[in-house]
Amino acid sequence: MKLGAYRYWHETVLAALIAALMIGAAVVDPRFVSWKTQIALSSHVWELALLAVPMTAIIITAGIDLSVGSAMALSAVVLGLAYQAGANAWLAAACGIVAGALCGTFNGLAVAWLRVHPLIVTLATLAAFRGVAEGISLGRPISGFPASFTVLGLGTIAGVPIAGVIVALIATAAGLALARTPSGLSLYAIGHNPAASRFSGLPVARLTVALYALSGTCAGLAAAIYVARRNTAKADLGTGLELDVITAVVLGGTSIFGGSGRIIGTVLGVLAIHETREFVGWHWEHEELNAIVVGVLLIAAVLLNRLFTRPTR
Amino acid sequence: MLLETRDLGKSYGTVRALIGVSVSILAGEVHALIGENGAGKSTFINLLAGVVHPSSGSISIGGEVLEPGSVRASEAAGIAVIHQESTAFQHLDALDNLFVGREPRRWGCVLDRPRMRAEGRRLLAGLGETLQEGRPLAELSVAQRQMVAIARALSVRCRLLVLDEPTASLSARECGALFAAIRRLTAAGVAVLYVSHRLEEILALADRVTVLRDGSHVETRAAAGLSKDDLIRSMVGREVQEHGHGAPSAPGAVRLAVRSLSRSPCFHEISFELRAGEIIGLAGLVGAGRSEVAAAVFGADRPDAGSVLVDGRALPPGDVRAAIAAGVALVPEDRQHLGLVLPMTVGENLVLAVLASLARGGVRRMSAEAAVAAEQMKAMAIKADSPAVPVRTLSGGNQQKVAIGKWLAAHPRVLILDEPTRGIDVGARAEIYRLIRSLAAGGLATLVISSDLQEVLGLSHRILVMREGRISGELSRQDATQERILALAMPQEAAVAGVSP
Amino acid sequence: MTGAWLRSREAGVAGLILLTVAAVGTINPRFLSVENARDILIAASPGLIVACGATLVIVLGEIDISMGALMGVCAAVLGKLVSAEHAGLPVWLATLIVLSLAAGIGLINGLLVTVARVPSIIATLGMLTILTGVGDLLMAGETIGGFPDSLRAFAIGHVGMLPMPVLVALACLAAFTVLTRETALGRRIYAVGSNAHAARLAGLPALRLKVLAFTLTGLLTGVATLISAPQLEVIEAGFGRQFELFVVTAVVVGGASMSGGAGSIAGSALGVLLLSLVRTALIFLQLGIGATYWERAIQGGFILAAVLADHVSRRRRVQR
Repeated sequence: MKLGAYRYWHETVLAALIAALMIGAAVVDPRFVSWKTQIALSSHVWELALLAVPMTAIIITAGIDLSVGSAMALSAVVLGLAYQAGANAWLAAACGIVAGALCGTFNGLAVAWLRVHPLIVTLATLAAFRGVAEGISLGRPISGFPASFTVLGLGTIAGVPIAGVIVALIATAAGLALARTPSGLSLYAIGHNPAASRFSGLPVARLTVALYALSGTCAGLAAAIYVARRNTAKADLGTGLELDVITAVVLGGTSIFGGSGRIIGTVLGVLAIHETREFVGWHWEHEELNAIVVGVLLIAAVLLNRLFTRPTR
Repeated sequence: MLLETRDLGKSYGTVRALIGVSVSILAGEVHALIGENGAGKSTFINLLAGVVHPSSGSISIGGEVLEPGSVRASEAAGIAVIHQESTAFQHLDALDNLFVGREPRRWGCVLDRPRMRAEGRRLLAGLGETLQEGRPLAELSVAQRQMVAIARALSVRCRLLVLDEPTASLSARECGALFAAIRRLTAAGVAVLYVSHRLEEILALADRVTVLRDGSHVETRAAAGLSKDDLIRSMVGREVQEHGHGAPSAPGAVRLAVRSLSRSPCFHEISFELRAGEIIGLAGLVGAGRSEVAAAVFGADRPDAGSVLVDGRALPPGDVRAAIAAGVALVPEDRQHLGLVLPMTVGENLVLAVLASLARGGVRRMSAEAAVAAEQMKAMAIKADSPAVPVRTLSGGNQQKVAIGKWLAAHPRVLILDEPTRGIDVGARAEIYRLIRSLAAGGLATLVISSDLQEVLGLSHRILVMREGRISGELSRQDATQERILALAMPQEAAVAGVSP
Repeated sequence: MTGAWLRSREAGVAGLILLTVAAVGTINPRFLSVENARDILIAASPGLIVACGATLVIVLGEIDISMGALMGVCAAVLGKLVSAEHAGLPVWLATLIVLSLAAGIGLINGLLVTVARVPSIIATLGMLTILTGVGDLLMAGETIGGFPDSLRAFAIGHVGMLPMPVLVALACLAAFTVLTRETALGRRIYAVGSNAHAARLAGLPALRLKVLAFTLTGLLTGVATLISAPQLEVIEAGFGRQFELFVVTAVVVGGASMSGGAGSIAGSALGVLLLSLVRTALIFLQLGIGATYWERAIQGGFILAAVLADHVSRRRRVQR
């Protein structure tokens, strides 16, 4: 096989990096790589992973969603208020997810129908959604959820966190959808060339709206998981999360220009960020180093990607 | 003699766009360059401008050989090209457009506005224009923008000014101003190479006329004493090859009916019917509105008025998916941007239009997709290593076959082909012709838009000719000749004197 | 000429500003006081300064979202350098170091975008992440205080009626207005953003202009830090966070287009003023304690309305 024909270069390099990191970590501090530690640390990653999945699809269409962190906060607050108003915690979670879906639908309509640049739309809704979250909650945290609900964030199935199972299911479904459904292939076509996609009869506008709506829905789900784990819903949660999410997706090999990217890459990207961050925090006990490492990883990944693939514009 | 080309030639792969052209242009003359679409005019201009590198021959200006394929060298030698859609800065005003890149300055960095203004006024006044300061170019009329572009060319030492279809979107008054400006320039010793389809203009303006046909130099003659018919005959030249291709064996039912379709300002009141098994050729000059009609029929553009019926049922306007569902397929002229998704594979492109129908339960059936792709690759004789190579890597002819095959996979009832053989070599061209004929024989209703008259004559059962957004005539296969088509396609004297667009 | 100006984006934003001032002033006359105007201008100064650079970047068709994090780093470095309990350097030297650092980061952004051809949104996102970490690391969860009086005088002092920060902002606005309108350099920036292909044909150095724009944005972020950070008694972690969103939004509200070529210093400045005004206006409307929590929502809704309305109207203009 020719070297250039191998399609998984990016994933391979990333996996090797993660492996090297884990081996290095094991040498320095064997406790870090133990199953117990990893499970305990994993609780920090599920929201990131959950949001990175739809973000991958959005960036494949050459779009972007900066509002996911704010949509998540709004969903969490809606969840909390619904619970306070006397709703069952699960019903409240459903309300939160619907709120997230509505946020996403709004973004999608502005992008697909009004054809405003997604960067601009979601930059504006980034402020607006969080503002609404602050407004309706008056900035107060809401807590006191029943144990039957917090199990969503804290419980395990056969030793695996429930949140992890949900994320795995969604990531697998999204990976299969991208590779094995007409809509999945359409997203790549739209990312490469929206005009030709329209001329081929692909439902470009409908897919775009659906995609942003899905991103909002996942933000709602992430909010439910977060609230269940922390047992608190507050309007400032998820601040800046959108940048981590985009970093993970781009680190995973998805081109910011659209048309290429895979869920498996994003999963590895999330993993790389998560493990690096946790190890740095664990070993040097400097949470602040995390961000530096992630930023360097992002730029390095894009530069490396340039070496392996020729830009096609 | 100002400029001389010697054996100038350019090939793109196997396609020879320009073959051994030797022309000389004199200082102070208006030298017209005419030919059918695809005769090699654009290639000739691009060679002069240094945008493309010649495959053979040389250009010399003022006795010195020009460095080939260098925009800078051409500019430095005083060759300025004004394209139809001039490459200008829409956000900047006229003054900035005139001087950006070589601004007169004070103290090294601050713009010398008074000097710019004075010089800009002088340049534009030389063209009979007034300076419109402070308004972005996008807000000026096409004619004003063109004057700015010409003035910019003149602000550097310009010895040869190339004007490519300068009057395509000008009103009669604006044309008059342009011609006056051209006469002023030639009086000052500048040579003007004038490319236009408007033969009356050429007869009125040009000192000499060069005719290109199929990339070759036919002749260069003094314009005095020539008639419009002389020019047309010279452009068409060759004998028409008969393809022995009569009326459809059994003209079927009306498949596509277009009724009074209008979309201002592109086309007006277009009506025609297309029957099963019939091939209609839609001829006309570039910009006559043919592609725009196709886009409206296909639902890519929403028409202002009129309707499109397929098998008697009206299509909702501006809805591509409905048009496709009704069986309409369009192979667009711009296959690289609209017809294909170049970075995706041949296989993916071939199934793009039938993705949903090949899936079962919302899941792609890879085997079915592979079968369709293989079938189309075979039927279209697409030369590619495998369905898994990106379409981008294919030759133009094979790319076009993929663009057509993509639609054949959808089994359309009406096929619209816009310039199906542009930029395609002779061999692939013949294959595509064979394919179009056999599809029609199988009952497909086909509309072929083409600027290649031989292609139109060779393929069509009937020929519609468009001129300036309207159908100017219909010719049966028997009555059609290249001269007749051109006569219907060329703008009339009235249009040259013209109404504003 | 006047007719054209009245239809321009700048006039629209200016009209909105007047409308807001009139409406809020009617409800609460204290909003119209000189003190309040001065407070609003002081608060708007950092935004006005950085918007000058951000406008150039956006006019060139690129984007920079690293300004907020850079501001945090600059503030932390400044604090560490001048405060008596840390390095205790002379103010002029510390100022010089901070400005060089800021310009240097901007230069790196520019080089990443041009030489390494990393898309600007990614390059500056990476820079934002890195700088956030560096800022947190420098702060180490504590606060930095003890600015020497000379530096504080610079940030809270006056020249006549004008507060120092406002004076600096006005100077930047004037300089950049001249730069964009009256110099070859400025016009070339617009030319490159307007039509990259034509700019290449005209021989304009697009890459160098982009590096310059990013470097200037970095430098101005340093300046903005110098006039804003010493206003505070102590610098806390999170200084400058989300500042980039404020600036980019203001520039877009002020008429710059993400696709490049359009935008003006005046428009961006008005955009900053409008957003700052809305922020303060909410306080003066005295909508009760609850209203303060709606501040961001109203701001966000405002931005959204402005962006959507502009986009739709711009599209209509193009279609005609």
